[in-house]
Amino acid sequence: MLTYTLKRVLQGIVTVWFIATATFIAMHAVPGDPLANQRATNEQIRQNLEQRYGLDRPVTEQYVVFLGGILRGDFGISFTQENRRVNDIIRESFPVSATLGILAIVFAAFGGVLMGALTALFRDRVPDLVIMFLVILGISVPSFVVAALSQLTLVDINTWLGFSLLPVAGWGTLRHMIVPSMVLGLGTMAYLTRLMRSSMLEITSADFIRTARAKGLPPSRIFLKHQLRNAVLPVVTVLGPAIAAITTGGFVVELVFAIPGLGRYFVEAVQQLDYTVIMGTTVFYGGFLVSMVIVVDLLYGWIDPRVRLE
Amino acid sequence: MTAASDAPVLDVRDLCVEFDTHGGVVQAVRGVSFDVHAGKTLAIVGESGCGKSVSVQSIMGLTPMPPGRITRGSAWLDGVDIVRQKIVNGEDVRGNRIGMIFQDPMSALNPTMRVGDQIAETLQVHRGMSKGEAFARAVEVLATVNIPDADARARQYPFAFSGGMLQRAMIAMAIACEPEVLIADEPTTALDVTIQAQILELLTELQRKNGMAVVLITHDLGVVARMADDVVVMYAGEIVESGTVDDVFYRAAHPYTLGLKSAMPSQTTSKAVGLMPIEGTPPDLFNAPVGCGYTDRCPHAMRLCGPHRPSRFEVDPGHHAMCWLHHEDAPRSVDVVYRGGRA
Amino acid sequence: MSVAIRFSAADFEPAVAGDQLQTSSRPSLSYWQDSWRRLKQNRRTVGSLWAVIALGVLTVAGPWAWPVDPAVQDVDQISQAPAWPSSALIVPAYTPWAGITATPTRAGEVVANLRLAEPGSTQAVRLVWEPVAGAAGYVVYRSVYDTAPDRALGLPIGEVLGGDRVSFEDRLDLEPRGYWYSVVVVDENRAEQEAYAVLAVDLVRTVSAEEATLRGWVEEGAALALGDRIELPYHPLGTDYLGRDMLARLLYGARVSLFIGVVAPLLFVLVGVVWGSAAGFMGGRIDQLLMRIADFVIALPFLLFMILFKIAFGIGPGESGVFPMLVALVLLGWPSTARLVRGQILQVRQEGYIAASQLLGARTGYLVFRHMIPQTMGVILVTLTFAVPSAIFTEAFLSFIGMGVAPPTPSWGSMANEGIRTMLSHPHELLFPAVIISVTVLAFNLLGDGLRDALDVRMRGRE
Repeated sequence: MLTYTLKRVLQGIVTVWFIATATFIAMHAVPGDPLANQRATNEQIRQNLEQRYGLDRPVTEQYVVFLGGILRGDFGISFTQENRRVNDIIRESFPVSATLGILAIVFAAFGGVLMGALTALFRDRVPDLVIMFLVILGISVPSFVVAALSQLTLVDINTWLGFSLLPVAGWGTLRHMIVPSMVLGLGTMAYLTRLMRSSMLEITSADFIRTARAKGLPPSRIFLKHQLRNAVLPVVTVLGPAIAAITTGGFVVELVFAIPGLGRYFVEAVQQLDYTVIMGTTVFYGGFLVSMVIVVDLLYGWIDPRVRLE
Repeated sequence: MTAASDAPVLDVRDLCVEFDTHGGVVQAVRGVSFDVHAGKTLAIVGESGCGKSVSVQSIMGLTPMPPGRITRGSAWLDGVDIVRQKIVNGEDVRGNRIGMIFQDPMSALNPTMRVGDQIAETLQVHRGMSKGEAFARAVEVLATVNIPDADARARQYPFAFSGGMLQRAMIAMAIACEPEVLIADEPTTALDVTIQAQILELLTELQRKNGMAVVLITHDLGVVARMADDVVVMYAGEIVESGTVDDVFYRAAHPYTLGLKSAMPSQTTSKAVGLMPIEGTPPDLFNAPVGCGYTDRCPHAMRLCGPHRPSRFEVDPGHHAMCWLHHEDAPRSVDVVYRGGRA
Repeated sequence: MSVAIRFSAADFEPAVAGDQLQTSSRPSLSYWQDSWRRLKQNRRTVGSLWAVIALGVLTVAGPWAWPVDPAVQDVDQISQAPAWPSSALIVPAYTPWAGITATPTRAGEVVANLRLAEPGSTQAVRLVWEPVAGAAGYVVYRSVYDTAPDRALGLPIGEVLGGDRVSFEDRLDLEPRGYWYSVVVVDENRAEQEAYAVLAVDLVRTVSAEEATLRGWVEEGAALALGDRIELPYHPLGTDYLGRDMLARLLYGARVSLFIGVVAPLLFVLVGVVWGSAAGFMGGRIDQLLMRIADFVIALPFLLFMILFKIAFGIGPGESGVFPMLVALVLLGWPSTARLVRGQILQVRQEGYIAASQLLGARTGYLVFRHMIPQTMGVILVTLTFAVPSAIFTEAFLSFIGMGVAPPTPSWGSMANEGIRTMLSHPHELLFPAVIISVTVLAFNLLGDGLRDALDVRMRGRE
């Protein structure tokens, strides 16, 4: 198990390096002048700015500096907000995004597994049909529409009730977190429900379930210990990419609900072409996702003993 | 059949099973009856698709019943028809009084559960043991089926076992609660010949110790010769011949059984004659044949065989065959069928 | 056992071929025939297939059938909800109004007899009333809601100075709808009275002949008489916040969104198939190398790099931004297909029938086309069908955060983005693009589901 972990971590580091390099290349391929929106009115100021951001050095040196900075955990200074360090931006806003993301994943995972199992149990009966209908809606309606509509509905509910049941936007208390995380997790939950359902159906006709029945085990035990445990495996596999999807879906939710998270900063940075923030956030997110994938892999190895031998 | 001084442990009567498919209704089992006594082994022989697995799986309630249906028949275990009810006195008879083992041990065990736990499960559910007690007993049972280092093995997962060992583990699982009947559905088909022999020996030994009745399903006549006391030959969803193993092997009374034996290599097969496979294929059970299902392939088919379903004739005491050749008016040819005492 | 039926001697004669007819079993179907049959049985899938075809027709023939320019702004009908065609009445051109004065004859707090001097139209609303003694002036309010219970008078649109001026003309942004005008008396201290007089008016849309020609609503030199009604440009689905026809934008947007949504997956699936097949066939070190590259591309956070690529390619003035998005999607999308195809090929290669075929003398080409491709086709088709909604989503998402196609090129995502801003007041601007995105995505998803069920080889034996 230990060697497996070490191997994965090593792979992860190489991947992050690759992401950083790809980001660097992409950013330096962007046409236009990075300092165009700065107050570089005269030559002197321009030179100062270039020096400050290291733009006067050759590209290869910039790359080395960039990598070195990453290794030290320093992403540089923001282009548009000159006195803010990218690290600070990340440090302040990432916990917000992380909280939102974690809540969404928990909601999606538990909801998905539960509902998927239910549809398989009540196959072709009312609960199955209802849940599958909702699932189809969930995977078809774009996340930004869901976010906007839920905000709209919340406003209506609040107006109708006469008081604010749940805040419509902003961040800070637990009540602020409920609606955004549910909205964020909805798409993933629909997807996981479907996956869980097909996994359960496949497992149900598997040989070892037949053996379990031949042993005269009560259906509840077969469901919990034999079906569920094995059916959950594909869902866990998918958790890695699901976390990625939730992270990016978070951008929209943060925008619509005015949540001060890293996603919102990233989108703003992209719109304003704030290079250091873009690069820093990309590498940071990349590293975050890579580590999440590793964690999920390890989790899978813990659940399914067959994988540990690899 | 062997003289029944005691009542059979499992008595199946006139079992009929059909399936709904997109192409129509398939009559997989068309009136099957057999019984098995304590301490004896009954072999159910037939080619793939003849309905032998479906029969026993339906009795055990393992056939998915939406597409499948038991339209007729009963299976009596100690005075209770277990086709109608599986729970007797609050306890499920499956795993408890009837055990079953399957063909492919690799896929028949839960890959994410330790082998010992899977055996212990039956004990917890049927004998009310605690987890610790059940696990200890499971280790004992594993030792009984000749798995070395049973305690360590019980803590391993199925993927760490070889095919033969897994089959033993499955046997252990099936007999942990000391059932009266053990149904073995092609237990050796997926194993090497040498392992086959070991498994069969194990089954015989266990039978001797526990006095279990064993129902052995197979398409391998060699296995039948080794282990069976009584034999039932199935074809196209029906039982075409039944009797003791000697009856069926030495005094085969149905052309199909004869055909099976001829197709089997044996010490008496001469190079000149060669192996004689049976021409043709089994009938399509969508339109179940009205008469004898073997008619198209039978070298001795008569005019009435097609339209009329043969009756069950008693060729010898306890030895039956469903074939019109045993009708008193049928032509007698010594070289076709041996009729003990009626040549 | 005795036999109940009596048989004759002839019955026991040997059977001849033809005596017993054993009808053959169901006809054997090829893999594709069987899959097609199963596909047809599944009604949901057939429905989604029709939906996809309908979308295709809409995309290709739509702009031709509804030839309205999606970039043209109809400033008279901004943010209009879907409605029946509207018309305008031809009236004489506007002439200024001098207004009326009258001497107050009575005292009071509120004016009396507030009425219209002439029928209200979008050209002008002319109010008159009876003055009140002691008034230093009057303030006129206009509201789009009924002022009644809360005294919500609305917008103050003007003040009349002098107690004897008893008229007011409103020409401010008049729309063909109902308004409530309120007149409040102002005393010498410039304080407004509590009481007010209110008048509800319904305006008729009018236009002068010159204006109509100018706006292009009628042909040059058309004979227009006063009192004629002319039709305004019709917007069956309403207009957006800039007055652009929603239907035209949706149809053109279909072209953009579906172009990206279908072409990008086709391309990256193609690349993936070639890459994966090469890796699967050649095996060994080449396989390892190809897959390493694919793994790295997979590891890149998709959306982040989509955005980066988009910035990197840049959007020049006048470009629509469709091409960079296409390229970005293809660059990031091919690895997962490559992995899938490679996996299938590896699996198929070790199947028994491949070896059997080779023993029978089959050559590589035959093996590839007769055995491997059909096996992988199913997977490829399903991947393709699921890749389309994913691409549409991605495009919509990017357009939503402003990283998609550049205005004025319409795409469903950018339309949704614009629609969000007026979500509360004019929901139709968000509703239509959102619904059509959802329907498209739904149709492709259901189709993919159905295809997968129909083509899944393992399930064939289950029936």
